[in-house]
Parts: sequence; C-alpha cells; structure tokens
Amino acid sequence: MVNPVLLIAVPLGLAFAIPLFALFWKAAVKYVPLAALAFNLVISLLLLPRVLENPVIVSIGGWRPPFCINLVAGPVGVLFSAIIALVGLLVSVYALDYIKKGAIEKYHMLYLLLLTGATGVVLTGDIFNLFVFFEILCISSYALVAYLRERSGIESAVKYLIQGAVGSSLLLIGIGLLYGQFGTLNMADIAENIASAGLISLFVPMVLIITGLGVEAAIFPLNAWLPDAHSSAPSSISAILSGIAIEVGLYAVVRIIFTIFGAQSFLLFLALLGIFTLLVGEMCAFSQNNIKRMLAYSSISQIGLILFALAIATSYGVTGGLFQLVSHTLAKALLFLAAGYMIYRAGSLQISALEGMGKKMPLTCLAFTIGAFSLVGLPPFIGFPSKFLVVRAALATKETIFIVFIGLALLGTVIEGAYFFRVVQVLYFKGEKPNPGRKEAPVTALIPMFIFVVLIVIIGIYPKLVTDVLNSAASELLNRLDYIRSVLG
Amino acid sequence: MSFLNNYIYYIGAFGLILIGLYIILVKRNLIKVIVGLGILDTGVNLFLISVGYIAKGTAPIFSRPVIDSENMVDPVPQALVLTAIVIGVAVLALALSLAIRLYQHYGTLNLRKIREQKW
Repeated sequence: MVNPVLLIAVPLGLAFAIPLFALFWKAAVKYVPLAALAFNLVISLLLLPRVLENPVIVSIGGWRPPFCINLVAGPVGVLFSAIIALVGLLVSVYALDYIKKGAIEKYHMLYLLLLTGATGVVLTGDIFNLFVFFEILCISSYALVAYLRERSGIESAVKYLIQGAVGSSLLLIGIGLLYGQFGTLNMADIAENIASAGLISLFVPMVLIITGLGVEAAIFPLNAWLPDAHSSAPSSISAILSGIAIEVGLYAVVRIIFTIFGAQSFLLFLALLGIFTLLVGEMCAFSQNNIKRMLAYSSISQIGLILFALAIATSYGVTGGLFQLVSHTLAKALLFLAAGYMIYRAGSLQISALEGMGKKMPLTCLAFTIGAFSLVGLPPFIGFPSKFLVVRAALATKETIFIVFIGLALLGTVIEGAYFFRVVQVLYFKGEKPNPGRKEAPVTALIPMFIFVVLIVIIGIYPKLVTDVLNSAASELLNRLDYIRSVLG
Repeated sequence: MSFLNNYIYYIGAFGLILIGLYIILVKRNLIKVIVGLGILDTGVNLFLISVGYIAKGTAPIFSRPVIDSENMVDPVPQALVLTAIVIGVAVLALALSLAIRLYQHYGTLNLRKIREQKW
C-alpha cells in the first residue's frame, strides 16, 4: 500500500535539503524538483484507481480522526495532486534552461515548497492544517514573484503580499470562530455538527473564510493583485501561479462551501460572482497590449467560469467545472511556457513585438496557438468538451437565471476568441520582414510544451479518459454525508 | 461590569484587528503598512488564545493528582497560535526585505507614488 503522506513528506524534505545539496554539488540542484515531482506523479497515479473505490484516510500520530490531523485522499484530492505533480514536473523541465539568473537554489527550493503547499491543501482533512499549507503556498509565491528583482516584480510582490496577508488573517479569524463553536478543527467533524449552530454564527465565519481564500482564488473583487503578479513573475512561475495556485485556492473555497457548510442558499451568489469575475477578466484582457497581462486576465475569466460551473452544484455542473479546471490548467500552463520564450526572443512583452514569430519559432508558436484555441473552446482540443459540459449543465438546470448567466459566459467566450485570434494573427500574418532565420526555443522547453499539446489533443478527442475520475470527484464534493462517514467511520 | 470581565479579551483582540486593518488601508508608508500587518496578526493571535482561555486555569498536564480537569485551559488554540506566530514572522520578514528592495528601485516607500502597474 502506498501512503499518501509521502506526497507531502518527500517534496517537503527534498525542498529543505536543496540548500544543503547546493553546498557541495551546485549543478545538480535543478534536478531535485524534477525527481520529487516525478515521484509524486507516480504515487498519485498509483493511488488513483484505489481511491476511486474508497477514499484513503490517513491518521497522523496514531489517533483516530477527530483527534488527529488526518489526510483525506479521496478522488478530488488525488486528482488535484496528480495535476499538480504533472504540471509541476513539466514546468520544472522547462525551468532547467529558462532559469539562469539569480540564486538558482533558492528558486528551486521555493518552487518545490510552493507545490508541496498546494498538494497539502488538496489532501488535508483538517482546517487549520489547510491554513498552514495555504500559507506555505502563499509565502513561497510572494517570494517567487519577486525572484527576478526587477522594478515590476518587486512592486507586484509587495501588492500581492499585503493583500494575501490580510486575506490569510481573515481566514484565520474564521477558523478561530469555527473552533470556538465546535471545539474541533477536523473538517468532517465540523461538517457533522454544523446543523446544530445558529445561522448568524455560521454566516460570519463562512464569509471570513471565503473572503480570505477568495484573495488567493482571485475571485472578483479580490483579484487586483493577480494581473501584476502573474505578468511580472518569471514565465515558469506564471505558469504555476495561473495553472495551479489559483485553482488550489478555488478548490479550498469549494471544499469549505460544499463539504463543511453545505450552504445551498449561498450558491446563487457564488454563480453571480463567477459571472462577474468572468466578464471583468475578459473585458480587461481584451484591452491589454502586454501579452502576459492578457494571459493573466484570461486566467481571471477562466476562474470565473469554473466558479460558475461549480456553483451550479448539480453533478453535471461540478463535473463540468472540474473538467474546465483541468483544461484551463493544461492550456494556460502551455500558453505561459510558450509565451516565455517568445518574449525572451522578442525582447519585449508587447504583443506587437511578436510580429513574424510564426516564421522564427514555428514550433513554439504552434504550441501557443493550440493552447489559445483550446482555451477559447475550439474542437478537437480539451477546451471544447469542458466548455460543452458547462453549457450543458447550465441548460439542464432549466432555471432562467442560469440560462441568462451561461448566455453572458458565452458572450465572454466571444471576447476571449477575439483577443486570442488577434495574437495568433500577429504571430503568423503580420509583419513583412525578410525571413529572419529560425531560432527555436531549446529542447528542454520544447519537450514539456509538446507533452502539454499531446495531452490537450488526446483528452480533447477522447474525453472518456478523464470523465470517470471527474465524475467520482464531483460526487465526492456533492455528497458531504459520504465524506463525513468515510472520515469519521 | 461583568460583560467587560467576560469579554475583555475579545474586545481587545477585535480592537487590535480593526486598528491593523485601518493602518493597512489608510497609511501611505510601506513600513507603516507592515506595522499594521503585525498588529493585525497580534490581534488574530490574541483572539485565538482567548477562545481557549479560562481565568486562573492551569496547563493541561496531570502533574499532581489534585488538579481537576475543569480548570485546564484548552491547549489546541495555543498550538495554533504558536504556528500562526511563526507564519506571521515569515510574512513580516519577507515584507521587510521586499521593502528594502522597493526602496532601492524607487527611492521612496510612499505607496501612492509607486504605481507603475495598473489595470
């Protein structure tokens, strides 16, 4: 039997071993995250078939669940940890050549800590432990945003840090209020007793927790830090922040609402927030000239769509939301990775500077185009089945408000198509420069991009590969009683 | 007065939290904002401690047979606060080191003057 604790313990241990490692063999430091994440990916994939039948509950310290800190490796947790390990592994391959400047061992240590924090958040079954892992994730991402030590990076890291720190304090107050009422920090135990508490004494901690987590999940109007932080971080970090960090924040929001509070009446408000987030993100992205800012705003809009789909709270809706989340992770990571070398070769972040890149770096541009098309939702890429599921879920509710909302979301998709096609047009059809000569991205960048492209196309053509896992993940989120029973026995 | 006696720690904790939030929202100097973050953290920690506090309580260790368990304070919030203090230290240290870098780049700590990035 494989123990899910290893998913957290091994990368955490290796992360803290990196500075020691750097003392005597500096050249090998950059391969440590690679090894740790490959290990995580293998363990997650080994666990996946088992947890589809029964969630694995690990009690740490030998006490029985409400008294110990426990890990809940259910379908949701292992699905997320597999995605985190996969994207983290591919991005760390990309970083082998991409990260040359600065204190390299610090970059790799923080990178591994960030992913450990993310894995911990999705696996833990204890609300304070969730806070601790969340802080590991946040603090390492503040530091990584400022990694290049440029003007813009420092400024956006300061913004991100202040907003994130206020958010975590609100989260901690909410956790304290819950502990004061229920005398326990175990999520399943709180969820079991939640019906016994009064409405207003639940509403206050819920709002505090959702606001605190919403800062990291970039839910409108808490997303002011995101475009700055994502656009001024190194591209490999932007890929991780956009592809993993905000998704993990969103997971925490959904877990708190669905499992702990079971707040059905709050969902319509979340759907409204999701649509607002989507429209604001799309409209801001449309008016950007800076390619990384455009991608960052596009992440905001995708988060809005995912939140909307999850807030439908039918089994179609949650499956669609999780599918959209997977498709956004793959496509956005690919886009940032491709954009990273395009910017590097062009020497500028402006979209207009990328003219003629289609001839100069054909493979990278092809990867960017596939990512963009997938995000817009064109077949045969993964974005098509995921968006299709979301639309079908909204129509299946047969409620006017959700149908109006999905209409607005589709309007947002049209805007999204407009700005992505504009970039693709600049890449291939603008600029009559004489043939500049090919200068492709290095192989270590092309391999991860190629794997992302393959995954996007294969899952897009044959979505059955993932729908089983997504269906059981959705039913774990929706059936809170099963969750409580499986943890408390 | 019994109200004050019972709730004085909560009043103090939420007072500190509000002061901290006020400083973060209003002050223009980054160092003052960081001080505000510190006060906010302290308020949250005081709040967590007061959740488990019992007046004249003892540590939850059965060191002598006469100690009754009614008077023991809840140890869990104290463990939480230890963790929260460590996290707070990490955030403040990072914030201060970023403030040094910010000053090197911009020559000022006035947040109203540092606004190169906007929507």
